[in-house]
Amino acid sequence: MFNIIKTRIKEGIKTKKINIEDIKKDNIVIFNEELKNKLLNKSKNKNFINNISVRVVDSGSCNACLHEMSALTNPYYDMERFGFKFVAAPKHADILMVAGCVTRNMYSALLKTYENIPYPKFVVAIGDCAMNGGVFKDSYATLGGIEDKLPVDILIKGCPPEPIDILAGLLLAFGKSAK
Amino acid sequence: MKNKLDFIQNLDKDIKEAVTENFYNQDNELVLKINLKDLKKVCLYFFKDLKFYLLSAFAADESKNDGNKFKIRYIFSHSSIDLFIIIETETGGTFPSLSEEIPALNWYEREMKDLFGLIPEGHPDPRPLMLFPENYPQDIQNMHPLRKDYPFNFRPEFKKYGEYSYNKDVKGDGVFNILVGPVHAGIIEPGHFRFSMSGEPILQLEIRHFWKHRGIEKIAEGKTISETLSLAEKISGDHCVAHSLAFLTAAEKILNIKIPENALYIRTIYAELERLLCNINDFAWLFQDAGYSFGAQETFVLKEDIMELNKYLSGSRFNKDILSLGGINICGNIDNLRKNVLKEKLSNFKKRYLNLKKMLLNSSTIGERFEETGYINKETILDLCALGFAARASGVPSDTRKEHPYLIYDKLHFNSKVLKNRDVFARLLIRFYDIEESFSIITQCLNELPAEDINKAGREYADNNVNNTVDNISKNKSKNDRCIIAKDDKIDIAQQLPTNSLRSWALGYCESQRGNIMHFVELDEKSRISRWKIRDPSFHNWQLIEFAVIGDIIADFPLVNKSLNLSYAGNDL
Repeated sequence: MFNIIKTRIKEGIKTKKINIEDIKKDNIVIFNEELKNKLLNKSKNKNFINNISVRVVDSGSCNACLHEMSALTNPYYDMERFGFKFVAAPKHADILMVAGCVTRNMYSALLKTYENIPYPKFVVAIGDCAMNGGVFKDSYATLGGIEDKLPVDILIKGCPPEPIDILAGLLLAFGKSAK
Repeated sequence: MKNKLDFIQNLDKDIKEAVTENFYNQDNELVLKINLKDLKKVCLYFFKDLKFYLLSAFAADESKNDGNKFKIRYIFSHSSIDLFIIIETETGGTFPSLSEEIPALNWYEREMKDLFGLIPEGHPDPRPLMLFPENYPQDIQNMHPLRKDYPFNFRPEFKKYGEYSYNKDVKGDGVFNILVGPVHAGIIEPGHFRFSMSGEPILQLEIRHFWKHRGIEKIAEGKTISETLSLAEKISGDHCVAHSLAFLTAAEKILNIKIPENALYIRTIYAELERLLCNINDFAWLFQDAGYSFGAQETFVLKEDIMELNKYLSGSRFNKDILSLGGINICGNIDNLRKNVLKEKLSNFKKRYLNLKKMLLNSSTIGERFEETGYINKETILDLCALGFAARASGVPSDTRKEHPYLIYDKLHFNSKVLKNRDVFARLLIRFYDIEESFSIITQCLNELPAEDINKAGREYADNNVNNTVDNISKNKSKNDRCIIAKDDKIDIAQQLPTNSLRSWALGYCESQRGNIMHFVELDEKSRISRWKIRDPSFHNWQLIEFAVIGDIIADFPLVNKSLNLSYAGNDL
């Protein structure tokens, strides 16, 4: 343990710097430009924008997207420095992140999660399958993607999207200043 | 039993008489055709008497105009001989259930019932498996998606059809149930668990899976090999190299493509990098679930560094899209520059990993939580034919790299460690050994990596069959530094294949981090996929958890679960 702490003190963790001007927008699609206002209206308190809770539902992904999402909490990306955090219950959440196509078996669970998020709520689609089902869209076992089921606000493209893209997408959509 | 060729001669007389036809499909694939009435006798002979392991069981639709006809195949194997026994039988609609005698067949038979409408007679638990009674019509005779006459994209109306029923209820004073899932608290895939508790200890756990059933096997039907290859990467995202490797092994066997030496080495390096990444990831989550955040975050940093290395090597953090039929895509090539970077990084990783390991082994918190938690008995492992490190932590050797060497594993020096402690800690220790072996294997490969053309075989194959693709390859070859092939440049050899006169099949297998992956690939006359059966090790190992948690407290469930760290996506397909 001592060794590790010594190395850490010497090297430090190179937390990735993000400049909002430099963000590459190729992989990010924002459908609703008014997100920031919508969020601010939720509470008169402007500090609220520094506390955004995210709920993740996997409705049929191959689990690569999940690996990338959980990477957001590691010291490299550390999304909590921007005020985003993952929460355990939809009642606590502001954002629903959906990964993967929508399978028949998961459809009602996905809807229930969405219904339980208090208004105003936002939907973020992660990965190429989430929007229209990708390669799985015609299968007997899926119902395509979430585009015709939930109002999608942000889409992060990629198979799987890289953590830096997910983070950049959130920052861009919610108009945050990057630190 | 050591000799492959006269294996059939040494079988019991009874069994020999039951076999109507036998032949070697590939070098190590012995097919025994039998009649349906002898199925029970022959399967039990291999499973009980010869102590063979069940590796897969599946049906295939062979219907012609004159009625329904299905082939059922059971694949058995043994750790002491490099041979797969494929027991093949035909049926029109029913077959005898063997789940009582071979518990590992339980889910396989229910799967055949759902997807093909074949009835396992005498099955102890004939509830639907992946076609949930709530979401799929159960009364319609035709809801059997893998039959050939089921239209590719037919979807029945979405509404509530029925109710789910649990298998067995635990009753008594003070017994209560805790239901968890399908949507979990963390960033985890969906699955449903019902714990029956009395006080703190768990009396019974029932798992309900297949929430993410996506119908991959049906989607692949009629697709070309390269289209299917991209599908294979989406079976279980963290094991994309292992699954595509298993699929390609089968396809290359059928088409008789020989892979250049250099590509074999590179494939091994990527397979081991994936094993390393997954083991480090499990390692981190075990720290996290035991409440040891410092260790967890430190290990997540290591994991992130490995993924960054992957991205440097292949352009993808999961090493997606690097394998191709007959070789390696140019973007996955390991040239001298990358070889040196890889060596340097690995020695750094190894140093950091050893520090972490030392810290973990010195921590009393970890010892207290992990030792004597989640026992899995050897009998359970053998009955359920568990695979990979789960089996090895309970004293059962299971490592495809040793039993059925593929790629260049027969030339490498490595051990496959077997422990007898059978608890969570043993499964962690096995991971330590695996991680160290992976480091050593990659180093061995890098030292012996021959300088050769990685796509020679694929190109020769293309040369013989198509003319226009050769330009594409040489074009790609010139931009080899950090080159990522655009989709359109890729050669689609399989699309131009000469037409086979017969349907042909082969087995593809490899050892993933979780255990043996088995693919059965059958190509039709036009070299398109006719049947593709995928079996992820999770399909066998999930059922272990029901036994591992009995008697433990519910707070230990995350540890038991993470100690096996199974894939939901690979299980559900």
